[in-house]
Parts: sequence; structure tokens; C-alpha cells
Amino acid sequence: MNSSSMQIRLTWEDLTTGESREPTLNVPVGLGREFSQIPTEVNGRRVSRIALNSVEVSRFHALIDLEQNQVVVIDQNSSNGIFINGQRQTRSAIANGDTLQIGPYQITVTYAAITQQPPSPPSGNSQILFNPDTNLPDPRLNQPAPAPVIPTSGSFPPPSFADVQVEVQDLYATGLPVDEIDYATIGAGLGSFVWVDFLRIFGVKAEKIAALGIEEQPYARYKRLCLNSQIPLHERLRSNSDSCPDNIWGWPSYALREAWHDFFGGRLGEMLRKLWQVFAEPTFAETYTPRAGNVFNSIDREAARIGWNQIFRYARVRAIRKTTDGRYAIAYSRMGARNYAFIVARYVHLAIGYPAIQFLPDLQAYREKTDDFKSVVNAYEDHNHVYQHLESNGGTVLIRGRGIVASRIVQRIYEARQRNQNITLLHLMRSAKPQGNKYGSAQRRVENHYEFQPFNWPKAAWGGELRAILEKADPQQRQSLLADWGGTTTADRSDWRRIVAEGIRQGWYKIEFGEVERVERDPDGVVTYIKEKGFKGEMRLLANFIIDATGLDAKAKCSPLLDDLVSHYNLPLNHLGRMVVANNFELVEMRNRSGRMYAAGASLLGGPYAPVDSFLGLQYAALRSVDSLAVDRSPATHRLNPISSFSQWLKWALNHSP
Amino acid sequence: MTPTLLGRWQTRILLFSTVGVLITLPFGMGIIGPGGAVFFWVLLYLALFGLGWDIFYQYLQKLRWDSDWPGVLQLLAGIWEAVFVALLVKIFGLPGVPQDLSLEWFLLNYSFVWLGVYVASQTIMRILFPRWRFRGGQWL
Repeated sequence: MNSSSMQIRLTWEDLTTGESREPTLNVPVGLGREFSQIPTEVNGRRVSRIALNSVEVSRFHALIDLEQNQVVVIDQNSSNGIFINGQRQTRSAIANGDTLQIGPYQITVTYAAITQQPPSPPSGNSQILFNPDTNLPDPRLNQPAPAPVIPTSGSFPPPSFADVQVEVQDLYATGLPVDEIDYATIGAGLGSFVWVDFLRIFGVKAEKIAALGIEEQPYARYKRLCLNSQIPLHERLRSNSDSCPDNIWGWPSYALREAWHDFFGGRLGEMLRKLWQVFAEPTFAETYTPRAGNVFNSIDREAARIGWNQIFRYARVRAIRKTTDGRYAIAYSRMGARNYAFIVARYVHLAIGYPAIQFLPDLQAYREKTDDFKSVVNAYEDHNHVYQHLESNGGTVLIRGRGIVASRIVQRIYEARQRNQNITLLHLMRSAKPQGNKYGSAQRRVENHYEFQPFNWPKAAWGGELRAILEKADPQQRQSLLADWGGTTTADRSDWRRIVAEGIRQGWYKIEFGEVERVERDPDGVVTYIKEKGFKGEMRLLANFIIDATGLDAKAKCSPLLDDLVSHYNLPLNHLGRMVVANNFELVEMRNRSGRMYAAGASLLGGPYAPVDSFLGLQYAALRSVDSLAVDRSPATHRLNPISSFSQWLKWALNHSP
Repeated sequence: MTPTLLGRWQTRILLFSTVGVLITLPFGMGIIGPGGAVFFWVLLYLALFGLGWDIFYQYLQKLRWDSDWPGVLQLLAGIWEAVFVALLVKIFGLPGVPQDLSLEWFLLNYSFVWLGVYVASQTIMRILFPRWRFRGGQWL
């Protein structure tokens, strides 16, 4: 090995988003928490510096270097040490394919100078976008539609949208319909619905609010993603009992409502079980979670109560601009060709949800090469054909990813095995997970390489100490807090744990670890090639189907609307490429005299609040933003006090309009 | 529940001084049991010592990954607080509370107070203070 040309590739998962990071670096490589604390040179050679954000990582934690033509890793007196393939080491040679654990990061080392780089797959992450017409995940839409560049006359949005501020009279001059309204929310999904719910309860009339989106049911996309990822209506969501998108107080919680029905249905044992669950979870009882169907029905009731059908407007929003009179102009298209209109609003809320589904680059490359959209699927796409095929013919499925979606798919395969025993399951994980993340004196529990947590963040991130800590932290500290609390986890469900243990014992379920080299078509199915440790060669995993269960994606760049807004107003993005908001969820750079713009949802990950994309997180965001509107005395909002809150709750209970 | 220290204190003070006092009234007035100001003294001690215990609970809570405090732990904490006050009274006596305090009536009163406070924190607090659950139990 020639020390001057030795390169290694480090691969790890971003702990907040689950995205893959895989830089190829010249040795020596310095790893630590603070970029500035990692030396720039060692023995006269330039050090490739990698910052890993976590309080479990020391400022300068480890050095990877060459000694007698061997790659070695040397602990730099770190507080928490280095684990190589699960063993703590202070100085150790590393073989191709070894895993280094530094704090919460599992980093796989590959000798880049020797391994052949696969020709095609693409660096970084690929994704599947939602079709803007159908709202369905559409794998054939490869790139986000280009944002409107400089519009020409006759085009839409009109030429005035090239300016920083538009004149409202210019909008009227286009001859297109223009509506003026106080409040507008963009997305019309759950984030919008929850915001509108707060506005209505704070006193704003339905006719003063517009929700712009393409499906009237606020949970339409959410429900579709649930069904696709094998959560039918009777199954339970990963959500807390008192996270009720239909009820801003969280009372009565879903568990109480279910217990109430059990009581009147004469199922006393069931009733007591649910009450015990919410009393003792998560330590002495399994965490209660609501049934998907019950949540959707409750949203339907609340939607009718607040007059959602009057508020919802079918609209594909194209662009948003500040107006010269301190408001915002929203250009949108309606049903039918060239049917355009504008809305001018003083308060605008952005809640567009996940613009795309994350899709593993090697699977994307496979699809591009083979045009085979049936054997390699994403868990969030409609892939029922997989289970139908398995149930009638048997076969092998390979799952990628180890989060909640993977768990649910393992359960679904288990159910399919009740009909056909000739189904086997391979679960490919990037690296082993011998121990859980640590934060302070607490540690997350791990079993069979699954890391358990009731919800996607530690509970106190919603309204407890962790929420307060994150809000106070500066952007740098937020990165490391999110890395320590984040990572892919699944729920500690006894049925899931039993299925995994039983599958491993009976041999139909197997967990494999490794870095994927490439995925290829084979007469018998799809083959995944994995690098084995220490050049022993390649491992072949043959399967009939591959299901990618790695997650959703919400980078601002993936959404043409946000991308346009960010580039037009030069808005800052955070370290995850998401929008930057204040603690009250205001997009401060978009302030326009008395006009205010707020945001909610997945496009804010990495900011002052961690669980932005959860039901309760959406309610928190809505509460903060509507509270700040009420403080600013925006039209018709009254900050809830104990008396008005109680009377509004009574109206909710009696199903009267707010 | 995922309380913060300030939240624990604020909620404890509010609920002991409202729900706690309301439930103790019939005991103090002799409608239930022998009556006497001693029930209010006991309630006051429970609240005061509780403020100290809250610091300890908050420390224990940091050992929990979710940094949460489920109902079961509230119950165990409640039992401990009662045992602690009862021991203090029986061994040393406390100003306003004679050493011959009737344990049965104390237990009955305290059980109602604990249940009332717990139920109120799960119900009416959420309805009157919609921000309470996001602020770790702070209502001010």
C-alpha cells in the first residue's frame, strides 16, 4: 500500500434523518466532535477531518492512520472510547469492512483504493416524489419539477413574481381570480388542519381561513402511506394516547375513548387493560397506541365541527411572494388546464409535509437499469402485489432498514407465513447494533439489533425537559442533541419481539449485516451483493423481492415550492437542509410589516423542536404560532385563558361549532 | 407525564392548594372522621416535603431514557411521601400534628387527596391550561 494514495471510505447513517453519509477520504483521518480541535496535520501529512456531532464523542476522538502499511485506529484519549466490531480498543488495526463505534455512530470502514467503486450508484440519496396531480408516490418522477424561473408574459406565475415584492393591483391586472383573506395555510394536510383547528378555537371564523391543497381529507396522504406501509385501519399507529389531532387539549385521550367504548360494550377486561397501559407505560406496561381508523374518524368529526369543507380549497400552490402592502400573494392552479388564481393573505402557514420518500441509491440504480418496479419496492409505495405473490407462491423477501416500518413489514410477512410457510425473510442492516444510544446517564434498550423507544423521539422531547433543553440550545448544540436522541428505533411491542425471536429460532428470519455493493437482476430473482469483511469476497443475497423501509425525506430542495421560496428570498437552511424557524415557528426572514409567515411539520427538522412531524408536535407548533398571532392582535384571535379554554372544550365535547 | 422541576412544583402547589384543600375540608370539619385542623397541617407538610422530593424525582427521571414519569411512579412516589410524613409524625411529631395522629384517618384522607390530585392533573389541568402539557407541568 502506498501511503500517499491510500484512501478509505467511511459510511454511517445520519442519526437525525437516517440518510447515508459516505465520504471517501485520504488517510490520515481525524474524527471528533469539534472540527477545530482535530489537528490539520499529523507527521507532516494533511489530515482529513470529520466532525461527528454528539456529546458522547470527544472533541478529538480518534485518528485513523497507516502504520507499517496497515490501517489502524488510535483512540485520542477519548472519554467514551472506540469499539471495533463491538470490542473496546485503544489502538487497533482495522480490516476492510470493520465497524467502528464512536459514541452513537456506527461507522463502516472500506478500503477505497482497493475495492472497485461500483460504476453507477450514485452518491448521496435518491428519492421518490409525490405526484402533484394524484398525491401518490410516483417512482417515475425522478427529479422535482424545476421551480418557476423568470416568468414571461402569459406564463404563470406572472412576470411580477420575479420581483421581491409584488403589487396586489398587478395580480388583478392579470384578469385571473384574486381572493383576499386573513389566514391561508398551504398543504391542507394534517399540519394545516391542526393549525386551522387552533385558529377556529381561538376565535377566527371559517370564512377568514383558506387551506390550500389537493385532497380534502386532511389525513388523505397520511392514511395512504399507512396503508401502503401495511398499517390497515384496525392496526395501531406509533402515536401517544393523548396526541389527538382532533382535540387540542388531548383529553379525553384515545385510550380513554376506547376504554369508554369497551365499558359500554361490556368488555371490562379490555377496558382495565387500556387504563393500566396508560397508567404504567412504558416501564410496566406496553405503550398504548391508537388504532389508525379511530384517529381518522375523530379527525372527520372535528373537520365537520370547524367547517373544514368551507375552508379547504383545491389548489396546487406554485409560488408565494411578499406583497408591497405587507401581505403575501399565493399563486396557484386549480382543477383543469390553465386554470390559475391568486390568494392574498396576511398570515400564511406552510405545512406541506414530506415532499418525497427516501429511496436507497443502489435500489434506485437497479430500477433505472432494469425498469423493474415490481421486485424492488419502497415500503411507502403500494406494494400489495408482494404479499399476494408470497401468499400464493412463497419466496424470499429482503428488507432494508430497521425502523418502525421495517417492524410492521416483518409482522406482515409473519401474517403471510400463516398462509404459506414457504416464505423466508432476510433483513439487511448496515451494521450491528450492540448497544443503544446514550444521553446523560440514560441509555436506550437494544434487542436483536433493534433499538427500542415508544415513539420516534424520547418522550420528554414533546413537552418535557428535553423540549426545553433543545429550545435553549444553539444550532451547533442542537445538532449534537438530535444525534444523541435520534437514530432509527422501533416500538417495544411484545408481538413484534416474539415474531423476531421466533423467526430467528425457526430459521425463516435472518439478520445480515453489510454494505451493499450493487443490486442485480437474476433469473431467480434479485441479487444483492454485499462486501464481506477483510476481502473474503462478496456475499450474494438472493431474494424475490426487496423492500426499502428506510424512510421519508423532507429537504427543502425536494419541494419545488419551498425551493423557490428559499432561493427567491435567500432563506437560511439548517444543517439538515430544512427551513429555519424561530421558537414560535415563524419564518422570520419572511416577515412583511404586519404580515407573518409560519411553518410546521417535517420541513423543520433540526430546529428548536424535535418531533415536528408527529400529531402532538404539529399541535405544539400550531399552539406556539397561533399564540404569537394572538399576542400580535391579529384579526379575531383571542389567546385562550382557563375560562375560554374550558368553554371551548365544552363545545368540543358537545360537538358544537367553536 | 414528562415534568420539569418547575412544572412539578407549580402543579403540586396549585393542586394541593385547590383539590387537596377541597378534599380535606370534610375531614377537617369532622364530616368524615374525628375532624380538626390536624388534617390541614398534614396536607401542608405533604406539600412542603414534596417540593423537596420533587428535586430527587427529577434526578431519578434523568436516568430514564424517555425522561418521563408515568402514573405508576407517581403512585409509588405518593406512597413514599405518605410513609415519610407518617414516620416523622410517629417518631418526632411535627408542629400542629400530635404524635398520636390516627393513622387510619390520615391514610383515608391522603388516599383521597392523592387520587384527586392525580385525576385532576390528568383531566382538568389539560382542559384549563392547554399549554401545561407542553411546558412540563408549568401553568404560570
